[in-house]
Amino acid sequence: MQNIIELRNVNVIYEGERIPALYNITLDIMRGEFVAVIGPNGAGKTTLLETINGLLQCTSGIVKVFGKDVKKYGNEIRKRIGYVIQNFEIDPLDPFIAKDVAMMGRIGRLGLLRFPKSDDWKIVLDNLKILGVDALADRAIGKLSGGEFQKILIARALSQEPEILLLDEPLSNLDLDSRKRLCELLSDLHESRGLTTIMVSHDISYIPEICSRVIVLDKGRIVCEGGKEEVATLECVSRMLHKGVKHV
Amino acid sequence: MFDLPLYLLIVSMVGAILAGLSCSTLGIFVVRLNIVSVGYCMSHAAFAGAAFGIMMGYDPLLFAILFSIGIAVLLGPLSDKAKLDSNVIIGVTFSLMIALAFIFLNFVPGVAATGAALSILWGSLFTIDINDILILFLITFLVLLFLILFYKELSAILFNRKLAEASGINTKLFLYTILFLTALTVSVSLKLIGGLLVFALIVNPTSTAYQLFFDFKKITVFSPLIGIASCLSGYVVSLESDFPLGASIVVVSSVIFAFSVIISPKRRKGRLLL
Repeated sequence: MQNIIELRNVNVIYEGERIPALYNITLDIMRGEFVAVIGPNGAGKTTLLETINGLLQCTSGIVKVFGKDVKKYGNEIRKRIGYVIQNFEIDPLDPFIAKDVAMMGRIGRLGLLRFPKSDDWKIVLDNLKILGVDALADRAIGKLSGGEFQKILIARALSQEPEILLLDEPLSNLDLDSRKRLCELLSDLHESRGLTTIMVSHDISYIPEICSRVIVLDKGRIVCEGGKEEVATLECVSRMLHKGVKHV
Repeated sequence: MFDLPLYLLIVSMVGAILAGLSCSTLGIFVVRLNIVSVGYCMSHAAFAGAAFGIMMGYDPLLFAILFSIGIAVLLGPLSDKAKLDSNVIIGVTFSLMIALAFIFLNFVPGVAATGAALSILWGSLFTIDINDILILFLITFLVLLFLILFYKELSAILFNRKLAEASGINTKLFLYTILFLTALTVSVSLKLIGGLLVFALIVNPTSTAYQLFFDFKKITVFSPLIGIASCLSGYVVSLESDFPLGASIVVVSSVIFAFSVIISPKRRKGRLLL
């Protein structure tokens, strides 16, 4: 399999901070892999995703995606990566229509001075349908519930027809049934399109069965990695993920 | 009333329409990006520029434009590099520009010079000529062209800058261009409606459109139309009542905004469908 994401000794330190958000990360992800990243709050999961797509510049080390340096070719690379952002706050009065927000995912791919054509709209509407939110296509985005909005953001990322999909806690706002259906959809997309997927979660139980590798992050370091079953049984992982949670 | 020469009537009316169109089109970006105070900053940079021009014995308008554009060129990179909120930087540069203006004017003896610099802040209908109209037309054309050609990129940035960047859009380039065009429009509109009041023309029509529509496409169409309507109505009020043009436009556009808040569908009570 071809190496699609490559991180070498990557450190990320936010401005004004001294403690790295990511510390000496070396990671290879192959084309078509489904990788889950788990860890407690503040482990560096979102930082890892945004370092991969270049929204955050690493302080030291090398990040290559599609064999190209993210620092140099950031915009070009990001056109081929779908990103579903975490905890996105939306103003109820926001003047944007759901289908237009989903179309925004294709804008980088379309390129400058090109306008969306009927084929582009078909892709967008198909993705809204796959996620079961096609009936909301003409609704104002601020009028949607958290879960509905989350699905629009996922449709937005899929409409980009990405080669890599980065999902930051994609199930967080969804009900149980929607979580199950989204996991099935992600598994289908992974199988049918060979979509390289990196999914961040703070809970190992949310990770789809199809996931080939689970990476455990804590305090910016990769603590361990392995198959889902293997990682789930590790006592240190269980302790880390449930740290601070009192079971009554 | 209307006892002005026809030429002056037509030129000033066209000027009002163009100023309304360009300012309220840029307002779509300025209001959404929450950089409303950028208008204050640029108009006072223009004031400082005019004062500098008078001090040096050159055309005050030329230096007003140069100072305004200079601020626009500085604002974007400064807020990015310094990681400061753009409103903080605008607040600092705003007071700096006022201070510079008073220092420059201090070197020029006489009240007339101060009056000339202040006229940049207040504007006058009767100082506009055909050359100003041509420049204003060119700027308006550039603003509209920018909006039409890059509508999809701009709408994505205005929805969420981070997501737009994640889709591979060079957001910095677009934001800097918005600032540059705002500076250009503000400084060119100064002569007609004045630096202080051009700011209201950027904010009021767009804020009205934001009250009325949920669809960004409709906002991009109606904001310039409301801007033109505000300018024309303000123009008529000014001629009828002998009020200053800039002040009349602001009053009219503020009344339209207040009315839009009252009738806004965004605040309408929900009704049960039976």
